[in-house]
Amino acid sequence: MASVTAEPIDTTIEVPGKRTPLVTGAHDYGTVTEAVCRLAECKTPTSWYIALGISASLMGMLFGLIGYLIITGVGVWGNRSPVFWGWPIVNFVFWVGIGHAGTLISAILFLFRQNWRTGINRAAEAMTIFAVVCAGVFPGIHIGRVWLAYWLFPIPNQMSMWPNFRSPLLWDVFAVSTYATVSLLFWYMGMIPDLATLRDRATGKIQQFAYGLLSLGWNGSSRHWHRYERAYLLLAALAAPLVLSVHTIVSFDFAVSQLPGWHTTIFPPYFVAGAVFSGFAMVLTLMIPARKICGIEDLLTDRHLENMTKVIIATGTMVGYAYAMEFFIAWYGGNRFETFAFINRAFGPYAWAYWIMVSCNVISPQLFWIKKIRTTPWMIFVVCIFVNIGMWFERFVITVTSLSRDFLPSSWGYFRPSIVDVLMLIGSFGLFMTLFLLFCKFMPMVAMAEVKSVMPRPGGKSGH
Amino acid sequence: MATTIEQPEKTKAEPELLGLLAEFDDPSALIEASKKVRDAGYRQWDTHTPFPLHGIDEAMGIKWTILPWIVAACGLTGGTIAVGMQYWMNAVDYPFLISGKPLFSIPACIPITFELSVLLAAFGAFFGMLALNQLPKLYNPLFKSDAFRRATNDRFFISMDARDAKFSEIDSGEFLNSLNPLNVEEFWSDVESPKLPRNLILALSLVGVFLIIPPALVAYKRSTTTNNPRIHIVPDMDFQPSLKAQNTTNLFPDGREVRPNIEGTIPRGQYKDDNIPFFYGLQHLPEDQDVIGIALQDEKKTDPKQADEKKADEKKADAAKAPAAKPAVPDAAAIEASRLDKLPWVTEFPMPVTEKMMARGKERYRIFCSACHGLGGEGDGLVTLRAMGLLQGTWVKPASYHTDNVRKLPVGRLYHTITHGVRKMPAYGPQIPPEDRWAIVLYLRALQKSHQIDANTIPEAEKRKLRDTK
Repeated sequence: MASVTAEPIDTTIEVPGKRTPLVTGAHDYGTVTEAVCRLAECKTPTSWYIALGISASLMGMLFGLIGYLIITGVGVWGNRSPVFWGWPIVNFVFWVGIGHAGTLISAILFLFRQNWRTGINRAAEAMTIFAVVCAGVFPGIHIGRVWLAYWLFPIPNQMSMWPNFRSPLLWDVFAVSTYATVSLLFWYMGMIPDLATLRDRATGKIQQFAYGLLSLGWNGSSRHWHRYERAYLLLAALAAPLVLSVHTIVSFDFAVSQLPGWHTTIFPPYFVAGAVFSGFAMVLTLMIPARKICGIEDLLTDRHLENMTKVIIATGTMVGYAYAMEFFIAWYGGNRFETFAFINRAFGPYAWAYWIMVSCNVISPQLFWIKKIRTTPWMIFVVCIFVNIGMWFERFVITVTSLSRDFLPSSWGYFRPSIVDVLMLIGSFGLFMTLFLLFCKFMPMVAMAEVKSVMPRPGGKSGH
Repeated sequence: MATTIEQPEKTKAEPELLGLLAEFDDPSALIEASKKVRDAGYRQWDTHTPFPLHGIDEAMGIKWTILPWIVAACGLTGGTIAVGMQYWMNAVDYPFLISGKPLFSIPACIPITFELSVLLAAFGAFFGMLALNQLPKLYNPLFKSDAFRRATNDRFFISMDARDAKFSEIDSGEFLNSLNPLNVEEFWSDVESPKLPRNLILALSLVGVFLIIPPALVAYKRSTTTNNPRIHIVPDMDFQPSLKAQNTTNLFPDGREVRPNIEGTIPRGQYKDDNIPFFYGLQHLPEDQDVIGIALQDEKKTDPKQADEKKADEKKADAAKAPAAKPAVPDAAAIEASRLDKLPWVTEFPMPVTEKMMARGKERYRIFCSACHGLGGEGDGLVTLRAMGLLQGTWVKPASYHTDNVRKLPVGRLYHTITHGVRKMPAYGPQIPPEDRWAIVLYLRALQKSHQIDANTIPEAEKRKLRDTK
């Protein structure tokens, strides 16, 4: 195969009349396979074991705390009257929001024929699924009596009762579980050809068996590819509105209630924009170190990062607009309770959280207007960390400030999380990272087949 | 592949030629070659590429898949199931009445209908694709070729099936060679049919047997009866030390678990004794305060026998002094009426009468009273007319305000009637605050006056209205 002897190309510069390559370095099909499969085939570095050890311990802590919660009761959290939603719901919305980037990149960018998605879509989809897993944990344990979680679903039961289909909380059950299922199908279907690649390269018996089973006997038949591409397109077309619907329905949990600060029509678009915003920030947070460590910078180039920062500017600005519009409507709507809720949000006891949110979510992404910051990975990383923090605080501000000042002033209170709240949030990152590390080690981290299909063909013709 | 088991075969079969495999390293060459294979008239052949090769569909003459139709059908099924499920579960089988909203409405159905449509459509796309591709198919004779392992990496293959009508080992081989492949090879069937290792079969059977146990236990328990209480896996709050309502206890001398109010308890918002005329319509409270709560029953319409039993039930407590009253049941109502009549009713309004109060009274009267009593108080409201029209036997026509009896009633008594009801009229005390009840009484008085007025006392401007025919 051709040796890799290309001079580095700055992929962030557009040359008129010429397409900037999506894969840098002198890669051909074989070396792309090599670069991706190497991760699963080479000897596992010690650093991976250390990282997995830390993450798995945190995950263990999360599950231990869940056990403690189930045995003791929800009183172990800081949830007290009137703030009964507290951190569990904040964490749920935070993780579900993060889980929007993957399917958005895979589905919407696919429909818009943004070929640069091929470098990041696999890892982003994996991240989506792991984030949705983390999100699913919280409402599951927040219901209090976990052993009755099946009441959430329309299952025939001894009480001859059915759930109330007019409740946004039930819509949420359907939305999140559908989203998790469809994302999983989408991710897995995308991986089948790449799992077949791993199967065909595997040398050990266990690897051959496992990858053989997972790849379902894929043999690269063009007749199969034909149906596969149709199915992929259809799934993308189905997943695209689904992505938008999920956070819309999550926002209904708040917006359909009567509570000042929640009862606003701007919530669905505002939540979706925020979800994409936080999801892209999390993808970048993960991929900037991962592409360095895994040595896939040729497949996941600076141009990929730059494109994603542009999405962050756009969605971050939308989020900023939504913050401003909430205030405008609170004044313009002339509702005294609404006005109070928003003034209290910005200048009341939670002002510190509000201004952390504004500075992280509205101000920090504006730094991406500067090209230098947009093209320097470590600077992107720092900004994305701020965005992640800001988006967690956004959910905190929405959930807690509104609840802590409800209609009955005698029950007003100041929310304080318990140590269990804090450790569970940290533990959920452990769960997330454990899954992500396992994925990096055992699964094809880049969609090889898709990258190959956007590479120039050996004959010199472009594959675009 | 042939290393599965070392058992001597009973019938040594000859390996069979399944087809030919040609290898290329350039996607464009594969497309060119595919066109030639297609034009040569072969039907059972395929190409294998590491990624979807654009242009190969036309080159091979692949027909469009029916997958989109499967997806559409699945999506429609999902949507139909969702709407049907929501309708049946919330409007038919377990009607959810929430603040008088309709049991079923389309807007509230949309989120779940959308989600289930997408879910089933996605299942259709994924499983439909697998089914049409006949996957999973873990065994494939092509996988025996070492060269073919690069079909998922960087090489491009044409596989030709020996079952094709045009296939012949020599001619087809030559034809494939003429397409300039890297190389052409044959692939053969296995002589030994692959068998599962015996240990695996044993292990799988054991797992199968164990899997049957739980459903079998459930089925057994469901079809038999037991005298034991159910197993409390999670005790929830089933066993509490607190006393259950309406039970007995030996904690208190009277044996009752529910404690009566301590004497002199005034529930919040119920202190009325500082303004008796306003709250009760009485000048002062009578000695026997039970009288205040009396709502007169209709003596004529009640069947004596039924009333007998009813009264007997109600008055079991004071059965001792009841025997005298028992034969004269129709009089029981009359006695109560006379007890009410004797109360010291206020005859003047206990607050200044204003025009604002009159307007308020008119408004409240029209909201609460006119449905039965009619706008003019003749007892001809729409509800009454309807009930009369239906010849509804249990309906008691409300009294007209314009009879001498009603006209003579003191305002306090009218106030009391609104508060506690009379005959079929329910108590409106809980719904109408006292000020409004007084305002209604005021308006009622005005209505009565309007029927009795001497035409000469009407102001000139009002008289003109009476004269106008339009």
